[in-house]
Amino acid sequence: MRHYGHIVILLLLLTGSMSKAIGQNRNSLIITEDNLILQLDLKSPAKELDSILKIAGISSSNTGKVLKGDFSGLNVDGWKMSAHENNVVRFERSLSDLKENPQSQPYLITTRILQIDGRPGYPENVKYGFNKYAKITVYGLSSGLTRFILPGYQQAKRVFLSGNFNSWSTLKGLMKKTDGGWVIDVMLAPGAYEYKYIVESRWITDPNNLLQMNDGGGNVNSVFYKYNYTFKLSGYTSAHRVTVAGDFNKWNANELIMEKKGDAWEHELYLSDGMHQYRFMTDGQWITDPANPVKVKDDDGNLNSVLNLGETVTFKLRGYSNAKKVFVAGDFNNWRPDELSLKRAENSWVLPVVLTAGNYNYKFIVDGEWIADPDNPHYSIEKGGKNSFLSVKPNYTFKLKGFSDAGTVILTGTFDNWDPNGYTLVHNGDEWTIKVYLKPGKWLYKFRVDGKWIIDPGNKLWEQNEFDTGNSVLWME
Amino acid sequence: MRRLYFLFLFTICFNSVSGNKRLAVADITFKNAAYDPGPDPAPYADFKTLVVPIKRAGNLIIVEATVDTLEGNFVLDTGAPYLVLNETYFRDAPRIADQDAAGINGASSGAFATVVHNFNILDLHYDRLTADVTDLSSIENGRNIKILGLLGTRLFSKFAITVDLFRNVLYIQKLDKNGNIPETERVFRDRFMVSPIRFLNDVVFLKGSVNNKEFWFAFDTAAETNLLDYDKCKKLMDNMEVINRAKVTGVGGSSFEVIYARFDQLIVGDRMFMKNRVLLTDLEKMGKAYGYGVDGILGYDFFVRGIFTINFVKKEFEMYIYTNQ
Repeated sequence: MRHYGHIVILLLLLTGSMSKAIGQNRNSLIITEDNLILQLDLKSPAKELDSILKIAGISSSNTGKVLKGDFSGLNVDGWKMSAHENNVVRFERSLSDLKENPQSQPYLITTRILQIDGRPGYPENVKYGFNKYAKITVYGLSSGLTRFILPGYQQAKRVFLSGNFNSWSTLKGLMKKTDGGWVIDVMLAPGAYEYKYIVESRWITDPNNLLQMNDGGGNVNSVFYKYNYTFKLSGYTSAHRVTVAGDFNKWNANELIMEKKGDAWEHELYLSDGMHQYRFMTDGQWITDPANPVKVKDDDGNLNSVLNLGETVTFKLRGYSNAKKVFVAGDFNNWRPDELSLKRAENSWVLPVVLTAGNYNYKFIVDGEWIADPDNPHYSIEKGGKNSFLSVKPNYTFKLKGFSDAGTVILTGTFDNWDPNGYTLVHNGDEWTIKVYLKPGKWLYKFRVDGKWIIDPGNKLWEQNEFDTGNSVLWME
Repeated sequence: MRRLYFLFLFTICFNSVSGNKRLAVADITFKNAAYDPGPDPAPYADFKTLVVPIKRAGNLIIVEATVDTLEGNFVLDTGAPYLVLNETYFRDAPRIADQDAAGINGASSGAFATVVHNFNILDLHYDRLTADVTDLSSIENGRNIKILGLLGTRLFSKFAITVDLFRNVLYIQKLDKNGNIPETERVFRDRFMVSPIRFLNDVVFLKGSVNNKEFWFAFDTAAETNLLDYDKCKKLMDNMEVINRAKVTGVGGSSFEVIYARFDQLIVGDRMFMKNRVLLTDLEKMGKAYGYGVDGILGYDFFVRGIFTINFVKKEFEMYIYTNQ
């Protein structure tokens, strides 16, 4: 009996040491002098495995495989299995890789590792907005400029206005001292803007602006919306409260409270380009916009007014008078072939379409046959086929002087993910040109002249690339 | 002359990587012996304390300055000995010095030395500054901000600089005859850490320890994290917790691995710092760029712990708590 007891104790000890060897945490990643040790409990939830595999630098697409006992993904990544006991499996990976680092400056590593979401301080994809000032100190002038006033600070030597509209410059937005405070007028396109004042080199938010935004980078900035639209409802003068709501503000009927002006109700705001559905609420009753004939039923059966903001582009196809149906399709409508039907006009087919600023590819579909726009010399090649190219609200013209003997000149860059087929330039006089729309920020590009890549000889700014052939650099402010 | 003195002193104290007189900026090592333009004239500074608003790009500290009429963003970089200009915008600047044909990583580079005139940071004016021109596109592309250059330490060699990352302000201060910030000009008083510093090739070095093992750290404000040399800290791995393992694509498209880890017990000066994040990698090439072997680099994860002052004359590094002003 005593002898038997010894065996039990020994067994317990053995089990104890084994479980210790396999580790106390079911899933763990431990670093030792020479190795990484990854331990996985295949019975743990996929979420937990996902998380530990992510820490170990193994792509999450491998989680499913690992759960099924397929460790090929780990093997490819250099992990070697060192233990497998029931559900617990352990891998080791040498740290010798850490001895190879060709970079000579910390920023060459850290700017690549620490990814930043978006661009802090540069509001993006804002659907709508309206200002909230305790005292109106920022407003539009009849000239189209926007005036920013910072009252007080009369003892200050220098005051600047800095925001995403001037690339957060600490030097450009020097304000003028007046009796009413510090003043500056700036030209702003409709949109959402973040800004701050710099008083005697110290950043402050606008004390009169109640609207602030955390830029995600640890900063709180004031927010200003440059308006582009006024909702207007005529009549209903006896109503006590009229509001407007739409898909842009998730149908919140308590947010955009309209103001009575004469015999109409109004609300001015910034509304992004694109399609919006909306309704008014008058003393608790939803109504569509009586002044807007365009209405649509939503998924819940509600009738909504429709507003389409942007640039009106008229697609026109000459000839084809014998065709029965002509459609236009492009990346603006996900290439749906039977959605945008052109109307027959005198010796041509036409359709006005409202589009937001951007670069688009499109084609006509004539009785089921896809054709490029014969009147548009700008095109791009995709899967061997020719798409016509259209830029809505273009803000930059690429020009290449000379090369008059060239057959084709193509523009490509970071704006089209370096698509070698890019956008085709047109020869005008002694230069090749194309107009495109580019968002603010840095863009790299090249021309391809009859297949040969060249940097832009008309642009002094270029940087080296991985092929040692350089890329032209363009900053859009 | 000053550089020679440092070289002599620290060849004894440290194991110099290059062994001869070379300077390195960005990924380029310069054969500086071939050309020495002499020291730049002292800047004109009509202030006791100059307050400069700063910006942030990721964890980088951005200061706006003007080069002649061109104004733009510069990265405050205590890991660079002097002014560095971005090749994209200064390719046509006059070349005053030969340089190695290739960067450290073997990739060809058009880097060269130049001189700029009329350089200003608000009221701080430099008539003439020697600068290197090199490719800084990786910062621009990684942070989506236009970068004209890097502000290296020699620009501030007569001053103390203080960085308040909470309020995004840089203070550049003149010093009294003892090398101190005059009492009336002191902005921060609640000091929680002080350490002597050494300059090697004008790069700031701090002595510290990790889990009782002594290290020499480069203090580099352009390093967005701390870095430790894997070989030098191998024995300390038991105290490291892995945050993640990452593949990095370097200049020229080559791929290499780093491990991002966390550890307690970093001592710098008279202070212990807990929960330190650090990249484990090989720092041999970075040591070459600094001109000296480096065990580790203290970057953002370190300097974000407090308002920090570098007194370039007294050779002192201080930290102040954020809540005090």
